[in-house]
Amino acid sequence: MALANALRRGISTESPQTRLALRASITLAACVIALLIPQFLGDYAMSVAVTVVTYAILGLGLNVVVGYAGLLDLGYAAFFAIGAYTSALLELHFSLSFWEALPIAIVAAAVAGCIIGYPTLRLRSDYLAIVTLGFGEIVRITVTNLNVTGGPNGLYGIPPAGVFGHSIVSTNGLYYLGLFFMVLAIAFTGLLSRSRLGRAWRSLREDETASEAVGVPAIKVKLMAYVMGAIVGAIAGMLFAARFGTIDPTSFTYNTSVMILIVVIVGGMGSIPGMLLGAIIVIALPELLRSVSNYRMLFFALALVALMLVRPEGLLPPRRTRRGAYRAQPPPDEAPSSPAPAGRRRPGRGELLLQVTDVSHRFGGVRAVDGVSFDVHAGEIVSVIGPNGAGKTTVFNCITGLVTPRSGDVRLGGTRSLRGVKPHKVVRLGLARTFQGIRLFDGLDAVENCLVGLIAHQSRMLSLGGLLSRTTREDRARAMYWLDFVGLADRGHLLASELSYGERRRLEIARALMSEPQLLLLDEPAAGTNPTEKRELMSLVKQVRDTGVAVVLIEHDMGLVMELSDRVIVLDQGRIIAAGEPQQVRDDPRVIDAYLGREEDDDPDAGKSVEEVLGWRS
Amino acid sequence: MTAFLQYLVNGLTVGSFLALIALGYTMIYGIIRLINFAHGDVFMVGSFVGYAVVSTVVAQHWPIALIIIVAMLAGMAATGVLGIVIEGVAYQPLLNKPRLAILISALGVSLALEEGARIQFGAGFSSYPGILPTTGFSIGGAHASYAQLGVFVLSLLMMLALYLFVQRTPTGTAMRALAMDRDAARLMGINVERTIMLTFLLGSVLAGAAGVMQGLYYIQINFIMGFAIGLRAFTAAVLGGIGNLPGAMVAGFLIGLIQSFSDGYISSNWSDAVIFGVLIAVLIFKPTGIFGERVVERV
Amino acid sequence: MALLTVSDLHAYYGDTAALRGISLEVEQGEIVALLGSNGAGKTTTLRTITGLQRARSGRVVYDDTDITRSKAHTIVRMGVGHVPEGRRIFPALTVEENLRLGGYLSRRSPKVVAARRDAVFDLFPRLVERRSQLGGTLSGGEQQMLAIGRAMMNEPQLLALDEPSMGLAPIVVKAVGVVIRQIRERGTSVLMVEQNARQALALADRAYVLETGRIVLEGPAGELAKDARVRHAYLGGSAEEPLESDAPVISGDTP
Repeated sequence: MALANALRRGISTESPQTRLALRASITLAACVIALLIPQFLGDYAMSVAVTVVTYAILGLGLNVVVGYAGLLDLGYAAFFAIGAYTSALLELHFSLSFWEALPIAIVAAAVAGCIIGYPTLRLRSDYLAIVTLGFGEIVRITVTNLNVTGGPNGLYGIPPAGVFGHSIVSTNGLYYLGLFFMVLAIAFTGLLSRSRLGRAWRSLREDETASEAVGVPAIKVKLMAYVMGAIVGAIAGMLFAARFGTIDPTSFTYNTSVMILIVVIVGGMGSIPGMLLGAIIVIALPELLRSVSNYRMLFFALALVALMLVRPEGLLPPRRTRRGAYRAQPPPDEAPSSPAPAGRRRPGRGELLLQVTDVSHRFGGVRAVDGVSFDVHAGEIVSVIGPNGAGKTTVFNCITGLVTPRSGDVRLGGTRSLRGVKPHKVVRLGLARTFQGIRLFDGLDAVENCLVGLIAHQSRMLSLGGLLSRTTREDRARAMYWLDFVGLADRGHLLASELSYGERRRLEIARALMSEPQLLLLDEPAAGTNPTEKRELMSLVKQVRDTGVAVVLIEHDMGLVMELSDRVIVLDQGRIIAAGEPQQVRDDPRVIDAYLGREEDDDPDAGKSVEEVLGWRS
Repeated sequence: MTAFLQYLVNGLTVGSFLALIALGYTMIYGIIRLINFAHGDVFMVGSFVGYAVVSTVVAQHWPIALIIIVAMLAGMAATGVLGIVIEGVAYQPLLNKPRLAILISALGVSLALEEGARIQFGAGFSSYPGILPTTGFSIGGAHASYAQLGVFVLSLLMMLALYLFVQRTPTGTAMRALAMDRDAARLMGINVERTIMLTFLLGSVLAGAAGVMQGLYYIQINFIMGFAIGLRAFTAAVLGGIGNLPGAMVAGFLIGLIQSFSDGYISSNWSDAVIFGVLIAVLIFKPTGIFGERVVERV
Repeated sequence: MALLTVSDLHAYYGDTAALRGISLEVEQGEIVALLGSNGAGKTTTLRTITGLQRARSGRVVYDDTDITRSKAHTIVRMGVGHVPEGRRIFPALTVEENLRLGGYLSRRSPKVVAARRDAVFDLFPRLVERRSQLGGTLSGGEQQMLAIGRAMMNEPQLLALDEPSMGLAPIVVKAVGVVIRQIRERGTSVLMVEQNARQALALADRAYVLETGRIVLEGPAGELAKDARVRHAYLGGSAEEPLESDAPVISGDTP
């Protein structure tokens, strides 16, 4: 651990080039050691090494689910079991070889991943954890009680894997076979983490609602994490079966799942080298404690607690800012001079874009939105104002699919109904939004935040090729274009959390614009900004409008509303109490009573009570 | 019909234990969002403390009621202290750290407690002296023992006391407030650290009481007894809507009944699969459990 | 001796400095405003004073007692109230339960709690109608009243208010101004953080302006309102324009 710390300090103070060189030499050294280990260790130690390799593969697979996608899985051993049992059954009953059984076992695990994932991925994290635990137990109980899987005694006589006509039975041979698959797993999961899918996972982990609102199909993307994790787990299961020639349910218990989870957390969620280190610790540490045989698991348990207290983020957590540091200066070809790529058709000015008809919604007994109707036309800025709790944000949520209204209809372009359309599809149809409390992906840099917003455009993304493909130069240029548009061209490499408040507001708008919407919904964009930032924001909103995008905004700042809006809609208790030109609305007595208040109440010393000012008591 | 009633009686007995343990899971989750994997093992420790006490005093020819009271108080006191120590040492420092660190710490504590008990009491079963009367009464042909009735009534009383404490007293309100917003609770003058400890104390005391009753009733105990029952109790906590006390109680009894009927009508080999199957089916339709969490939707 | 004296306060988030030497005072009976952009350290200043956040160095002295290292709940006990940003009422507790928690420290004397609750109900009769309703179902304005009422249940000597008008309708903002004056009349000093500089300067006796964790300006509110830098950066007006023509509460009330 001290060594790891020293290395980390060494790495972080050096320049990117030195750091890269250091990483390369560490990797090279690790490879050499891994290849030469059989020369130095005895047979028993080598069999421990094979187990380490197996758990490293399992750790890499679970890392996709837990580390990348942020889904807690307490039943991962189920995929380990499915890989082992599927290959064993195929080899025993259909005389398939190890290599012939491999693709079938992978498919079986992927299907199992879908079956487990699909109905349950809507659940919130801790509920999901217990459900995965339940599935893990159900799989174990099933193989324990079925005849075909050999019941509690399991299956035996499973042939070893063969390579070029040689059966791999020696410990060293098994070690190298395991190493081969481990390298494959490293390459595969490493590729995943850098792919578009990997970015979608990171965005989901940071903020699921925001991801969906910028176009990430959350359920499908989570399902992909399950499937990818399941595939890697199944490979480990096949290795396990081929190694021992016999399998039984006791190898795939809840405890196995927990051990794999410990590998992931101790190593450092999301980090590939961490998985290797985690596997070494979880498997080798109890072996080293053999001298205190009766106490070894006790010591291991206490060491685990101590380790978490000392390094709660794991031993080798991934280095989040690394990507940014590499690109501190945007390369010339990413310069924002390139125009916005041709995307969606721009509607003509005045064309009907959005038609909200008699929308109502209730929460519990409260009527949040009550028969709201309005239209929005291309090139317009419409403001929605009203007291807190009047239902403004709920109207936005009804439009963008976060909430399905109890009654009424929302139509895009006057034809296509948005009722029941999922948020990520609403974005694809050309309707983007921002949130009242800024919802950015704090652990991603500004460019990546925008790139997540691009997913709305990549319907191809859900094909495997699209998912695994890396970000193209055009993608990056597009992100830089919109960052430049909102005035953040030199901020692309900074994490969203490192930006100032006003910059965060603007980044959220840039992210929404990445989907090239026809209509942009802004929820209190000026809340908490100072006058300088407010002025910048106003000119930004006008610029957006000038590109042909219609803007609907919820705002309390009357100065901003009066200056920007073409039309103003006033909501109170879920109903529209006034609508029209800004001046006209401002002088409407109902609006003054419910929302603006009387000018004489501007003086807090006038002697009126709170209730009188609020009109709660006349 | 007789068989049905018998399964019902057995199910309510099992359910009593599950409900008591589920309350601990749900309280602790509610207050610090931790699935306390060590909770089942705290139950196990309570059972062993009761075992040590009963084995020692059984030679003294005390009245049975006194033995039961002393054993239960000892078990509850020991687990109460244990709960506080676990929270203070292994959880408190991790409260504001990455969420899974505290989960792994809980797994470590769970393993440490199991190993400690194995080293102390051996890997085999330990047997409580059989002091409870086996006599009982008949309900429609099914036999219910006085011991079962005692377990049921005592559990209900403890749950009622807990419920009233949490709903009616200022300290209970403070616990609920803390579960919703820790910083805001601090600003009310609530000593957050102490209130979290109190939650662990209460949850662990209930688990300890269940542990001693389990030993007295089932006689045989061992170091991993907390695992299986802990898993079912946790399932009950989730099924009832985690963080929701009445939900955990009702779901505890429900899981007890499911287990009993599944043991009787299907096979005990499949019972856990049935329990998890029901849980998954329920969660698919009611994603926050039967009774839901107490979350208010914002307008 | 001032009621609250903060000297050279430094605080960090991880490795990032949030406060770089804040010094300020609140006298008995004063309303003091902290102004500044988001990220200037206003909220952190309040949180560090009331013990929600730890100071790296510097001193906070309240009522002649050093509270720099005291925990939040003991600081509350000494008579410092804090209405946090975003109100933070307990959504699944009733209005009545929220208020009773505000009087948590007096929980052993139910009569005192009941009397204070009635006093809050006098100030906000609306809350009487809502007393058995869950806090989360209240409107924003009602929640703000509840949050302030809840803090008043402990009869604080000093009340820290974080963005009391944030996200509220103009009419509620006006009402909040009235409430703050009433709180002062009851003998409670107020230290408020406001984004809405106009409202804050209209209410406060004195104000401090923060930028990147430091105090860059301080003085009587009336003088700061005339200061060119303040006018430009926080009031949104130009330096030449006379302030009197502006409405004192809502920014941009004139078209």
